[in-house]
Amino acid sequence: MNNILVVDDSPTMRRMVITSLGSLRRVKSTQAGSGLEAIERLAIEPVDLMVLDLNMPDMHGMEVINFVRKHQAYRNIPIVVLTTKSEESSRTEALAAGANRYLTKPFDPRQLADVVGSLLQTS
Amino acid sequence: MDKPTPDNRGEFFDQFLDDYYAECDEHLVSIRRSLVTLEDEVDGRAVDRALLDNLFRSFHTLKGISGMVGLAAAEQLAHHLESYLRELREGAVVLNQSGFEALVSGVSLLEGVINARRNDQPIPSIDDMVDRLQAISADSVTSEVPVSSTEKRETDASVTRWQIEFTPTAELAERGVNVNSIRARLQEIGAVVQAKPVVKGAGEIAFEFIVVTDMDQTALASLEADGLTFQPAPVEPAPRTREILPSPMIAPASVVRVDLDRLDELMRIVGELVISRTRLEDQVAELKRVTPPAAWRLLQETNSTMGRQLRDLRESVMRVRMVQLGEIFERMTFVVRDLARENGKKIIVQLSGGETEIDKFLVERMTDPLMHLVRNAVSHGLETVTEREAQGKRSEGVLSLSAMTAGERIVIKIADDGCGIDRNLVLARARAAGINHENAEIDDDALLNLICTPGLSTRTEADRESGRGVGMDVVKKATEELGGRISLATRIGEGTTFTIELPLTLAIAEALIVSVNGQRFAVPQSGVREVLEVESASTKVLENNEIISYRGKVLPLIRLARVFEMNHQRGERFHVVVVGEETNAVGLAVDRILGQREIVVRAIKDPLAQSRGIAGATELGDQRVVLILDITALRQLAVTSRH
Repeated sequence: MNNILVVDDSPTMRRMVITSLGSLRRVKSTQAGSGLEAIERLAIEPVDLMVLDLNMPDMHGMEVINFVRKHQAYRNIPIVVLTTKSEESSRTEALAAGANRYLTKPFDPRQLADVVGSLLQTS
Repeated sequence: MDKPTPDNRGEFFDQFLDDYYAECDEHLVSIRRSLVTLEDEVDGRAVDRALLDNLFRSFHTLKGISGMVGLAAAEQLAHHLESYLRELREGAVVLNQSGFEALVSGVSLLEGVINARRNDQPIPSIDDMVDRLQAISADSVTSEVPVSSTEKRETDASVTRWQIEFTPTAELAERGVNVNSIRARLQEIGAVVQAKPVVKGAGEIAFEFIVVTDMDQTALASLEADGLTFQPAPVEPAPRTREILPSPMIAPASVVRVDLDRLDELMRIVGELVISRTRLEDQVAELKRVTPPAAWRLLQETNSTMGRQLRDLRESVMRVRMVQLGEIFERMTFVVRDLARENGKKIIVQLSGGETEIDKFLVERMTDPLMHLVRNAVSHGLETVTEREAQGKRSEGVLSLSAMTAGERIVIKIADDGCGIDRNLVLARARAAGINHENAEIDDDALLNLICTPGLSTRTEADRESGRGVGMDVVKKATEELGGRISLATRIGEGTTFTIELPLTLAIAEALIVSVNGQRFAVPQSGVREVLEVESASTKVLENNEIISYRGKVLPLIRLARVFEMNHQRGERFHVVVVGEETNAVGLAVDRILGQREIVVRAIKDPLAQSRGIAGATELGDQRVVLILDITALRQLAVTSRH
């Protein structure tokens, strides 16, 4: 069973993402409403993939990517950035920091599930 | 490549519409709260950075979720508001009056767009607003004043910086001890100036907080139990100190949103349980004769324990339905601010008791009526600056909104220190409208009744627009339909206070069960003043009305048997349930008082079964229907029959 951590400060958005991932087999989801909460989830349970929003209170998504990529234990967790389309520069920045994929909102549920599914298979 | 196919996306995301509206409401509340604070900083040198961050994030989220549900107008409008906020945040523009007003109108339009979608109405055009927002970002002079962060630098010698380390574990999370709860506890001790994750030697994650406080370390000692360690922090702050602010919009993962319908269903089931237990109670009472005393006592004890537990369950469900009034108060503040500017008035709004909780259903029903009273206070109650100064009053009018709980009821007051209601003017209007009122001297109650008469308005045509279609008659009706009561106190030149009393919740109430002609009725306990036993011979008839003397005054009697057209044999003695206020109390004449019960209120929806004087129905466990009396309507019946 793969554990996907869905990080977004909007509870509605988290539900949308989790429901979209419902079509994947052998997958369960955990959620976090801020960057700090996301890091806490990592400490508490094994996470196989992260779907990460960027613009969040407390700890920006970019800081989460930097933290995760810097530390041996979490370095290999695939990260799918899912953020509201606004700054194109953030795509380059996020990918450079180590995000595996960069998707924008509004997102297509099937596309999100496909991306997450294929990352889980190859990781 | 990221573009989804719109058709299937629409269907998929429709299932989240309720969540979407709920989250929009939360953000709009938070935005309004921030805007009220922001107004004080218009043209100021430094705008509170945290405030701008919160606003920015709310618009950003609204944009994101609106895009997901395909509400393009809201998405775009939120986008332009967000862009303007970004410029403010980056210091590219200075917040001036026109910018602030554009923000306020933009937010109102955004709310309008979202509500239009919610109510299946045509979506208003956002084009003009978008132009306006673009114009202010382009036209505003580039600022030389950087938007400064309001970071607190503690220089006081009595404060200490503590470095606290928290290591999260699954066990702690299970007990509700997590990074959010720890931070909340630290915020009670002092200002949390930093919160960052660190990785310890063995790859273990911990969080490092820096708290500035004037408390000594005993305040921190309680944290040790949860495995936290603390030590004085290094004097120099870490190079990237970020001020961590309490952000009201974080919805922790442990909070669940529930549709009100589901709570209604839960309340309905609790209601069924209350009825079943009443039935059980009757059966236990009947068993007393045939059961050995010891066994019966045990049964009785279990029964009362269950009664207590059921009451706890009922209260818990009720608590879930409660929301704070503060949210609606803030919306009012927003309306007041807008109206005051339109009318050239200066108004200080004082809020108190915003933390008072009330059933969500009641809030929804009362929002428009309360808003109407507030609009009235601003448009008609409070005077302009010139008028006030001419009377020697301070130039700012004061509008105070307060709420408090009093027993099972909640009291909301809307008070202004304006010009008061002119009785003579109201009387003149009443006569002109063909409503007769003999007395030239009328008290506040009579005045309230007059201004609540449908069709009677002291407003001009233009004002009518500001009332948005809700008149005083609607305010009174809405209050009374919810089992509430409205009262008025006004003095010329000094101001007006409207007081609204509402029950905390509707579904289950305490009631007095009475019988008339073998038929049982429930009288809601909240309206009952007293119960009297009266001899038939002591009643008098005055102008076709039956009365008794009560505490030195005359109390009109309402014979329920007559109201509901029952064939009634009068006994020598009967009971009178006194209901209503001191000044307009009436007595309900009944045969017997059967007791006091907890009843489950059900509305009668079938128009054929609806009857004046009946508020609803309930059952008491024997599966026979008991009608619940509508005290307000009965009192009115008594008043009209007098004329």
